[in-house]
Amino acid sequence: MSETPETPQKFVVPIGPQHPALKEPGHFEFSVDGEIVTGASVRLGYVHRGIEKGAENRNYAQAMYLMERVCGICSHVHATAFALGTEKLAGVTAPARAQAIRTIVAELERLHSHMLWLGVAAHEGGFDTLFMYSWRDRETVMDLLEAITGNRVNYSVNLLGGVKVDITPELADQIRKGLDFLEERNQHYLKVVTTDETFLGRTQGVGTMTKEQAFLTGAVGPTARASGVEIDIRVHAPYAGYPDFPVNLVIDTAGDLLARFVVRIKEMQESCRLIRHILDHMPETELTVRMPRRIPAGETISRVEAPRGELFYFIKSNGTDQPERVKVRTPTLCNWGSVINFAPGHKLADMPMILAGIDPCFSCNDRLISIRRNEQDPQLWSWEDLRQYGVQYYK
Amino acid sequence: MTIGAMIGDILRSLFKKPITERYPFERKPAPERLRGKLHYDPEKCTGCMLCMKDCPANAIEILTVDRAAKKFVMRFHTDRCTYCAQCVQNCRFNCLGMESEEYELAALSREPFVVYYGREEDVQFILDRAAQENPDGTDPCQPPAAA
Amino acid sequence: MNNITLPPLIALLLFPGGLFLLSFSLFFEWADRKLVARFQNRLGPRWFQPLADVVKLLAKEEIVPDGVHKGLFLVLPIIALAAALTAALYVPMLGFSPAFSFQGDLIVTLYLLSVMTLCLGLAGANTADRFSLIGATRTLTQLFSYEAPFLLALLGPAIVVGSWSIAEINTLASDSLWFILSQPIGFLVALVGLMGKLELPPFDAPEAETEIVAGALTEYSGRGFALFRLGKDVELVIGLTLVAAFYLGGIINPLDFLWKVAVLLLVTAGLQSLFARLRIDQTVGLWWRVGALLALLQLLAIVVGRYLNPLLFGR
Repeated sequence: MSETPETPQKFVVPIGPQHPALKEPGHFEFSVDGEIVTGASVRLGYVHRGIEKGAENRNYAQAMYLMERVCGICSHVHATAFALGTEKLAGVTAPARAQAIRTIVAELERLHSHMLWLGVAAHEGGFDTLFMYSWRDRETVMDLLEAITGNRVNYSVNLLGGVKVDITPELADQIRKGLDFLEERNQHYLKVVTTDETFLGRTQGVGTMTKEQAFLTGAVGPTARASGVEIDIRVHAPYAGYPDFPVNLVIDTAGDLLARFVVRIKEMQESCRLIRHILDHMPETELTVRMPRRIPAGETISRVEAPRGELFYFIKSNGTDQPERVKVRTPTLCNWGSVINFAPGHKLADMPMILAGIDPCFSCNDRLISIRRNEQDPQLWSWEDLRQYGVQYYK
Repeated sequence: MTIGAMIGDILRSLFKKPITERYPFERKPAPERLRGKLHYDPEKCTGCMLCMKDCPANAIEILTVDRAAKKFVMRFHTDRCTYCAQCVQNCRFNCLGMESEEYELAALSREPFVVYYGREEDVQFILDRAAQENPDGTDPCQPPAAA
Repeated sequence: MNNITLPPLIALLLFPGGLFLLSFSLFFEWADRKLVARFQNRLGPRWFQPLADVVKLLAKEEIVPDGVHKGLFLVLPIIALAAALTAALYVPMLGFSPAFSFQGDLIVTLYLLSVMTLCLGLAGANTADRFSLIGATRTLTQLFSYEAPFLLALLGPAIVVGSWSIAEINTLASDSLWFILSQPIGFLVALVGLMGKLELPPFDAPEAETEIVAGALTEYSGRGFALFRLGKDVELVIGLTLVAAFYLGGIINPLDFLWKVAVLLLVTAGLQSLFARLRIDQTVGLWWRVGALLALLQLLAIVVGRYLNPLLFGR
């Protein structure tokens, strides 16, 4: 945190909780010297929704739909992580075709998430034309997802023990056609972001993070991969359909904003290739297996690669049909360190782009609130204490 | 290194029709699998209540008129429903389905959000019973007491 | 050249100042937004959208924030709009000769146009808001960077014609070879300079919404905001008219005016949608390293050209 009393006259520019740069509430304070940022601090927690607690009062099927709503963009991976974890606890494996469909939807979701990010990041850099075009082309993925699952967001493809929808040959053809268009457009966008002089001026050499720094701050996902860290759960701990359909690691060593653009666009191309590959080799099995309502007692960890990076689920069961504890750690939370540590020294104008460069999702990561109180152990709060604190706070 | 790498796009767009969909004026056909309003067939229902149990939004209430005669009425809250279709999956007798054409469900008051499905006389029975229990006519949209 | 002399009151309130210019500038704002939208494959606003915006803003309560000089806060938008409207009196609007004209009105017009930017800077510096302060700093920084090249670029035709009166330059420009052909660099600098002046993308760092909300105008809500916006629209019309009169062979009748200005608007809209926003340091660097040098080069070429071949530019 930046509350250092020795420099009282510094000029602090607040970004958020309400600010046009961020469509979600998060608060950043940049102390600036002219246009140069000298310090940065972040405050999160504006959209804490108590989802983990909520999951404890629902049965597994209901909790899966709740988990799907942790994030609006990468909803499917959350449900997949939860379903995979629950299936592991129950000792059930979903059929191969179900896993393949999960993977296809996950990759389509990655496409739509990365295209959304491409647009947002371009908008932060004031390149609204790229923003409009990438969002226009994103509609193709959204329409594909709608055709497959029946919804544009919160697809609800997963069931515990399988998936709801099948991919028919007609749908497969439709997907292939959509992918043709997307691959062509992505190739074009790759050319635009790597050659356009004005845009390069905003991305090249901005927000650079070396491999060691990325490792040190615990960055995950495309942010880390753009710095040359080889980390991708799909490759290193394959889940769902990835053991059968391996994915190639996309990596860049430059570590600046440009590298993050390049990594994400290349990842989209890789997703297109993978989806085609799966569509050509769809396993012919059932879509679901029987799942017990009561999950045997135990705990498990489930890790998946969300579009933003590694998504971590911890599920503890006590033998009933309701989970005892669900812990979610989203990739955005891991990536804040990289923003806050490497912001100083850059121009204020680069801040929105550096912030957007990690593809932040605030409502995803606002999961844990730590409350500091002087007279007692900060970790220990009884229900009554919390209630009292709440009453006092809102009085 | 080029200046204005998107010039091809913007020049082509000038002579193209805008991609914007003028939604309320022009409607695209809904995809076949779109999950719209839930429909219930009282003839097939056996009253297993699995739909109600797994509904993540408590949007479904199966009200028993006569268990032995398999007479049930479903009270469906369209405003609570998240349209996840878990109930459709749970139903082993195919008496639930989601209509792909009925998706414009916004309304200006709360009344249209509570939908009763069932045989006419059963629905009437349920409504009468509700009126008896709540003579002052309280909102039927309270969370179900059973949950 | 249609030469009609208007009573001063009409010239101020109806044409070319006042009502005509206001409605025309709203139309231009719509055309600009529509064109940018079409370049981005969008639908764009309907024709009455800018008018509706202004009416809405005028009807809204104007909140005067704490810590400002109240008088200054209220009077700055009026000065800005008034300066922009006054500038229109010296410009051959719609192809008619300017309502007022004297030797040196080119300089007066250019400075009247700059008053708008100065007002913006003052308005930002007046409030205690941090976004406004940064916006004001950037506005003034940008003013110092584009002003000199822009002035030099408009000076080119003036030197060739040998007059400091916009009306005379306009008349003579229509008689000779179009200056866009003889001074292409000057045209480019003038047009891009105009975009910098109006803070259009990619020179919109002073009001970059993703960084500093609305820049200097962050604290303006109702009437003040509407007047500033109107002022900018008026400047757009005047600026485009000036560039058309100087570089596109002058404007001699309304039809001539319309098509020349429409072409310029098309080009500016295209430039607006083609680039990412420049950081303020990039803007300054671009103007001083490239813009100013190019404008000086053009000036040098004109001087040399005039010395070598007095007949080349039709004199």
